[in-house]
Amino acid sequence: MPTTNENHPVTTARTASSARGLSKVYGSGAASVRALDTVDVDFAAGAFTAIMGPSGSGKSTLMHLLAGLDSATGGRVLLGDTELTSLGDDALTDLRRDRIGFVFQSFNLLPMFTAEQNVLLPLELAGAPVDREWFGTLVDTLGLEARLAHRPSELSGGQQQRVAIARALIAKPEVVFADEPTGNLDSRSGAEVLSFLRRSVRELGRTVIMVTHDPAAAAYADRVVLLADGQIAGEIHDPTPESVLAGLDALRSLDSVVGA
Amino acid sequence: MLRLTLAQMRRSLGRLVAAGIAIAIGTAFVTATLLAGDVFSRATDDALTARYGAADLVVAGPVTPESLAAVQHTPGVQAASPLLLGSAQVSVGTRSEYLALLAQSPVPAFDTLRVTDGSLAGAGEIALPESTAKRLGVAVGDQVDVTTYSDTDPDAAPVVEKVTVSGLVDDPKGAWTEYGGAGSAAGADLQRWNGGPVDSTSILVRTDDVQATQAALVATVDGGAEVWTKQQAASHAVSELSDDGTDFVLLLVLGFGGVALVVAGLVISNTFQVLVAQRTRTLALLRCVGARRSQLRTSVLVEAGIVGLGASAVGVLSGAALGQITLWALDGTSAGPKLPSTIALSAVTVLLPLVVGTLVTLASCLVPARAATRVSPVAALRPVEAPSVRSRAGTVRLTLSLVMAIGGFLGLALSIGAAHLSPLLGLGLGLLSGAVSFVGVLLGAVYWVPRVVGVVGGAFRRTGATARLAAANSVRNPRRTAATSTALLIGVTLVALMSTGAASARASLSGALDEQYPVDMMLSRTTAPGEDDQGFQDGLAAVRAVPGVADVVELTTVTAQSDDGSTTWELLGVDPEQAHGVLRNDDIADQLRDGVVLTSSSALGDAVKAGGTNLTVVKTGGLGGTSLVTADVASSIDPSAPTTTAWVRLASGTDAGDVLDEVRQVVGSDIFVESAGAEREQYERLIDTLLAIVVGLLGVAVLIALIGVANTLSLSVIERRRESATLRAIGLSRRRLRLSLGIEGMLIAGVGALLGVALGLVYGWAGSAIVFGSFGELHLAVPWLDLGLVLAVAVAAGLVASVLPARRAARTSPVAALAVD
Repeated sequence: MPTTNENHPVTTARTASSARGLSKVYGSGAASVRALDTVDVDFAAGAFTAIMGPSGSGKSTLMHLLAGLDSATGGRVLLGDTELTSLGDDALTDLRRDRIGFVFQSFNLLPMFTAEQNVLLPLELAGAPVDREWFGTLVDTLGLEARLAHRPSELSGGQQQRVAIARALIAKPEVVFADEPTGNLDSRSGAEVLSFLRRSVRELGRTVIMVTHDPAAAAYADRVVLLADGQIAGEIHDPTPESVLAGLDALRSLDSVVGA
Repeated sequence: MLRLTLAQMRRSLGRLVAAGIAIAIGTAFVTATLLAGDVFSRATDDALTARYGAADLVVAGPVTPESLAAVQHTPGVQAASPLLLGSAQVSVGTRSEYLALLAQSPVPAFDTLRVTDGSLAGAGEIALPESTAKRLGVAVGDQVDVTTYSDTDPDAAPVVEKVTVSGLVDDPKGAWTEYGGAGSAAGADLQRWNGGPVDSTSILVRTDDVQATQAALVATVDGGAEVWTKQQAASHAVSELSDDGTDFVLLLVLGFGGVALVVAGLVISNTFQVLVAQRTRTLALLRCVGARRSQLRTSVLVEAGIVGLGASAVGVLSGAALGQITLWALDGTSAGPKLPSTIALSAVTVLLPLVVGTLVTLASCLVPARAATRVSPVAALRPVEAPSVRSRAGTVRLTLSLVMAIGGFLGLALSIGAAHLSPLLGLGLGLLSGAVSFVGVLLGAVYWVPRVVGVVGGAFRRTGATARLAAANSVRNPRRTAATSTALLIGVTLVALMSTGAASARASLSGALDEQYPVDMMLSRTTAPGEDDQGFQDGLAAVRAVPGVADVVELTTVTAQSDDGSTTWELLGVDPEQAHGVLRNDDIADQLRDGVVLTSSSALGDAVKAGGTNLTVVKTGGLGGTSLVTADVASSIDPSAPTTTAWVRLASGTDAGDVLDEVRQVVGSDIFVESAGAEREQYERLIDTLLAIVVGLLGVAVLIALIGVANTLSLSVIERRRESATLRAIGLSRRRLRLSLGIEGMLIAGVGALLGVALGLVYGWAGSAIVFGSFGELHLAVPWLDLGLVLAVAVAAGLVASVLPARRAARTSPVAALAVD
């Protein structure tokens, strides 16, 4: 059963990312849709957190706002101590480049670059020197040694996503956001990618926030935050596929009760 | 299916419009050219018709007193008189002009000139065109000299007659513009001034009943003569004229229109290939639900047809508007022939560009249409990441391209040699080989252009991630990059070819002119030595003071005898140092030393004697009839040798014609002035004018190609939407994304231009070698300024072309990277 906390922020010793009274409204007037409704949430540093919820629950919107990809209608977003809601586009761009990593559902590697070039791209954009040791560690951990000179079209989906994870981690960002990272993968490659994400948290000390609708994927996380109708609907610590499924079912039955 | 085609067109409207502009510019060009040809032929027609004044019929054929009498006595003929056109040399002081001169007709209705001041000429009088009177500085009542040279006896002294200006005339219909205007005089005077009878070939006839009189005249005149209405006579004269160049010029300009259309075709083809690639999903879906291959092909071709027809129609309208605006602008300026005030649209001027434009569009889309039929129905079921027009270019193409390029260039080299045997053979072979090699190079563009782009891009790669991104992106789609660069390459190659050819022509001609006319201006004394010496010296001093005169060197005259003493020659003495300063051909001054006579003539033999000194004869070019010795030799032969001649060097950058006019003004009648400088300048001006026109015409092709660059970039931006968003998400700022596209545009345009310049240089040199190598010393020149300008314009335009696509790319929200389609 999920532990609901009536929209009280979930706090831990050190937060990597947090939202306060965060709202997002799409459109205006009668056609407006409230995707997020005064959400308060904290994400612990050095933890693997999954955001779950049914379609339209606002989980993707929440991630866009947390990552500085989109602007909020109301409330605040913090990355560490930095308030994102007050930053302009250039400052946000630099912040994404230096402090945030992304893993996308469609991998989004640049087809004209090799795996190695793709991994190093964020550093190159920043004009920052390459930490060869860290690069080696990532390549080792993700098992990419033999693939570095290949272009994305020569890699399998799982391999592409591992390159994308390395790209997300290369600048040692404070938070890595992963949006349905297994959505385009078969279950075996998906499991592989998820264990890599978990290892990057446990062994490399990274912070990962992942949006998914797959209970099996969410079960790899340390904690699952449940979202429904643009609001926090509960959370599960040390989830298993079964407990996540049960939590989701509870949300659905809640929905049907409310709907009735 | 048509509804679907139209719906698809609506979605791709922006891109189709951009592609359409390319075709529209091409057709506008062709339309304007055809209209211009029509305007000029009508102007010629009008001018020729105007020559017959108010005549109704023209009897063309040799005019004799008998034939004139026969015509005059034909029933229905109210008046008849021959059309007499001669010429006269009219001068006032040192100013002199050749003038076309009409005999005044006894029938006033046949007069084509209008009296603006005074009256027509009586016996011993002349009516001058206003412009001539102005140049000679005379008014009604003044006297002018008319000089007559005898036709029959070339040695006879010219006869100078004092004639009074009876009036000033102008030529309201531009009938005699071809001759630079015409004056008139009494028939008898005209005959006398022309040194004999002036033949007339037409009798002008006035009648009330044109048809009946024409029939009557046909019966009257003998077999050698034709009877035409005024209009028929004019058309006949026009058809005779058009053999000598008007049609050729029109064809040449249409050739440039053809180049513009070919470039437009490349742009169109490119656009449609990408449209098809973008619609792969839709096309596959259509195949799934039962569309046949032929239906898809038809759909693409119908779309191309609509675009081609619409764009061509816009082009025809713009071309016509451009023509009319030009005519309005020219109306009122008096220079040149009298032009009609409106353009005349005919079936040819409208339909030809329309049909050609549409056909070029359709032909350009045959390949994209075939690509559309190749889309497999399964493609609809596969997620399509990015549409790709990548296709492997066949080995047939590579082989063909290599054979044509290598064979063509070998042929080009061969034709340079062949030009020495026969210039015409060399030219023909050269044109053919040049065309073949260029087609080969273009066919192979898809192989080598992307590589060159890659190499050039590699040079910038070190400058940072933005440039590296641009370099990598520019070679992602070799075929599209090749096509875009090639479109630009064609125009730039032709511009560079023309400009290199012109520079080489200028250098070669100038070298030839330097050799042939080493002296810019030569002043010779017309009075005998000892007679008015002061006047001659004053004249030289006055010339020295003329602005634009850089140097004046005086030469003395002594006489020499042949070895056997039978013949004497005049030798000119000049100081070799001074000769260096004033001559354009250093050879002459270098060879001039004591003890030799320098001459271009073979008449002097091997040696001559002068005042007891024996002189060796040395042959050199460019001296004309002059034989030179050093000033020291001259003074040793005759210490009191008189100064009879002076050489003038003009300062560079001066208008030789103006200086010549000025010098003629100041020297008076004691000095005769000859100038090669004016001739040299005329050649150079001719070359420059031709070059400016040709470059202007080819500029249209370059303009179209740049639209292609913008088009390609905007298509790339659409295809790379997700990538752009990813880059934005992982930390590329808007500014750098725009910059990256700017660099990509500059790379594609710059490489196209660079290759074009290089190719143009090669072709320009080859062409110059063929044309000028056969008849003189060849000077290969590189027009650095022109070529640099072409490159700079291309690169700048590449940047400009990226502005709109880059704005669009920068607007992409980073959230789009997360979207799944």
